[in-house]
Amino acid sequence: MNETRPGDAMLTDWREAAGRFERAVGGAVVGQARAIRLITIAIFARGHVLLEGDVGVGKTTLLRAVARALGGAYERVEGTVDMMPTDLIYHTYLAEDGRPRVEPGPVLRRAEDLSIFFFNEINRARPQVHALLLRLMAERSLTAFNREYHFPNLQVFADRNRVEREETFELPAAARDRFLMEIGMEAPRDAESRRALVFDPRFHDTDALIAGIDADVLDHAAIPGIARAIQHGIQASPAIEAYVVGLWEALVRPGGAGIRLPGIDMEALVQGGASPRGVAFLVRAAKVRAWLEGRDWLVPEDIRAVFPEVMAHRVFLEPVYEMRRAAIVPELCRAVFDTVPAP
Amino acid sequence: MRVLISVLALLLAVSGAAHAQVRTVEVRTPRAFGYFLGDLVRAQADIVVDAGFTLQAASLPQSGPLAYWLDLRDLRVEETVTGDVRRVRLFLTYQTFYAALDARALEIPGFAVTFESASAHGATTATAQVPAWSFNISPLREVVPPARENPADYMRPDGRVAALDARPLWWRAGGFGALALLAFAGLARDRAWGPFRARRGRPFGAALAQLRRLGRTPDVQDPDAEAAYGDALRALHRGLDATDGRRVLADDLPGFLARHPAYRPDAAGLAHLLSVSRLAFFGPGPAAARAALPWPQLEALARRLAAAERAA
Repeated sequence: MNETRPGDAMLTDWREAAGRFERAVGGAVVGQARAIRLITIAIFARGHVLLEGDVGVGKTTLLRAVARALGGAYERVEGTVDMMPTDLIYHTYLAEDGRPRVEPGPVLRRAEDLSIFFFNEINRARPQVHALLLRLMAERSLTAFNREYHFPNLQVFADRNRVEREETFELPAAARDRFLMEIGMEAPRDAESRRALVFDPRFHDTDALIAGIDADVLDHAAIPGIARAIQHGIQASPAIEAYVVGLWEALVRPGGAGIRLPGIDMEALVQGGASPRGVAFLVRAAKVRAWLEGRDWLVPEDIRAVFPEVMAHRVFLEPVYEMRRAAIVPELCRAVFDTVPAP
Repeated sequence: MRVLISVLALLLAVSGAAHAQVRTVEVRTPRAFGYFLGDLVRAQADIVVDAGFTLQAASLPQSGPLAYWLDLRDLRVEETVTGDVRRVRLFLTYQTFYAALDARALEIPGFAVTFESASAHGATTATAQVPAWSFNISPLREVVPPARENPADYMRPDGRVAALDARPLWWRAGGFGALALLAFAGLARDRAWGPFRARRGRPFGAALAQLRRLGRTPDVQDPDAEAAYGDALRALHRGLDATDGRRVLADDLPGFLARHPAYRPDAAGLAHLLSVSRLAFFGPGPAAARAALPWPQLEALARRLAAAERAA
C-alpha cells in the first residue's frame, strides 16, 4: 500500500519525524492516541486547534507537550472575564525611573518568531478578545504600534472546558469556523492507562513530565514549507472529489440525501454552516492524514478519520435541535458516511 | 269524581283586623280513600286573602320527609288577583309509605302560611292556617295468604315471549370476524410480520448477474473495458453496502466480517478486492487494478460471495 515515490525523500523523512513527534508526545500524554494524531494532522495542515473536554482530562498538558516537542517561540495566556484585546498586544507600566512605559504584550513579544500561541480557557475571554483572534488566526497578522506584524509560523491552540457555563462567552460562529479542528478529549477508557495516570508519580508533576519530552523534535520553521509540499504531493482522484462533494451535500441537506434520524424533522434540522472554507480544511487535513499513513493519494478513510473534528463544529442546527447538539451531530455524521457511496 | 272537603278556618288567635285579611282557606283532594303503599297523594289548598297581601315564599313547607311514612314530594304555587282579593292555590303532592295491615284513616298534618302587606307605615303580616286532613289507606293483599305446597306457586308464572331468530346474529358475528381478520392482515403487512417479512435480498447475487452482463464484452484492449471494470467493482461495492446496510470502506472489513461471519472464508479475497478498488478509484487507476485482480478472478470472487450469500 506504500505508494510514496522514492524521489520524495523529504516527505518520507518528515513522515518519520512526525512519527517521532507523536511518540514523544504520547510518552507524556497516555491514552490519547487519537487526539495526538489529530493534533499532528493539524500541525502539518497549518490549522488552529480548539480542544474541548472535561476538567482535568489533560487538555493543557497535551498542548504544553505539543508546544515543547514542536519547539519555537511559545506564548500562553489565560482567558479571564476582564481581559481586553489590548492586554494581548501591549502592557503599560511605570518604570523605575518613574516614567510610563509601553511594552509589547504576549502576542507581539516574540514578534515574527511566534510559533505557538496557546489560549487557555478561551471561552472565559470576552467577545472583544475573540474578535482580535479572528484576524490573527485567519491572516496570521496584526496591526499595532502603527505597523503590521506577520506571524508566518503561528498556530493557535485553545482549550475550553465544556462543563462550566458561568461567566463564559460562547465563541462566535466566525471564530469557530477559523479553527481547523475542534477535538473533544475524554479521559482514557482502558484500565492500564487509568491506573498509570492515577498511581504513577511521573504523571503527577506536570512540569517534570513536560520537561522530560525531547524538545524541538520538529523544526517548526520548516513546517509551512513541508505543509505546502504535502498539499501538492497528495493526489485527489475525481472519485474522491465526487465523494467529498457528496458528503458536503448530504451534511447540509440530509433530508434530500435520504438520511432519516429518529424523532427529527430532517428537512428542518440543519440551518447552515459547513462553509466552503470548512470543506477545504477537511481536504487539507485528509491529505495530511494520507501522508501520515504513507500514501500519496487520498482514500475515503482519510476523509472519514478527520470529518467529525473538522466538520461537526461548522454545522449549525435549528434552535429547536441546538440544545441536543452533542447527541445529534455525531449521529448525523455517522449517517452521512453510512449513506453516501464511496466509489 | 272529585270529592270536596271544605273547611272554614276561623283564626281566633289573631286580631280582628287580621281575621278580615285572610278570608277563606280550603283544602280539596281528589278522593279520600283507595290509597295503597307508595301512592302519590295529591291535594290542593286554596287560600283567599285581601289583594294587598302577598305570599311569603319562605313560610311554605319544604319538600322532603315529613314523617317516617310520609314525604312531601312537590309543591307548586299559582296566584291570581281578581277585584280586591288574591287567590293563592297550593298544589301539594305527598307520597305515603305506610304499610297498612287493614284499612284505616291517616291524617296529613296541617301547616301555616304567612302573608305580608308592606306599606309606607310599616309591614303587617297575616297567617293562614291550612288544616290537617285525612285519607283512607288499604293493604295490598291479605295478611296471611293460604298455604301452598310449592313456594314457587306464590309467584306468578313467567310471561311468554316469542323465540328470537339467532341466524342474523351469527351472520353478523361472522362478518365482523372476517373484517377483524382482514384488519389484522393489514396490520401484519404494515409491521412486516409473518409472511409479510421482507425477504432478505441477495445483493451479491445481483452483483454477480451484473458482472456477467458486463463480462459479455471482455475485450481487454477495448477502452470501454476500463469503464466496465469500474462498473464491476462498483457492483460488488453495492453488494457489500447492501449486505451491511451501510457503506463499507476498506478499513471497515474486520467489522463487516464480524457482523457477517458467512463471508469469513473469503476474507482474503474481500481484502484484496477492497485494496484493488482503492487503486482503481483513488490511486493510480483502473489499469493497475486490473493487473492486480484480473477479470476472471474478480468474477470467481463474485461467484464465491454469491454462493456464501445463498448459504448464509
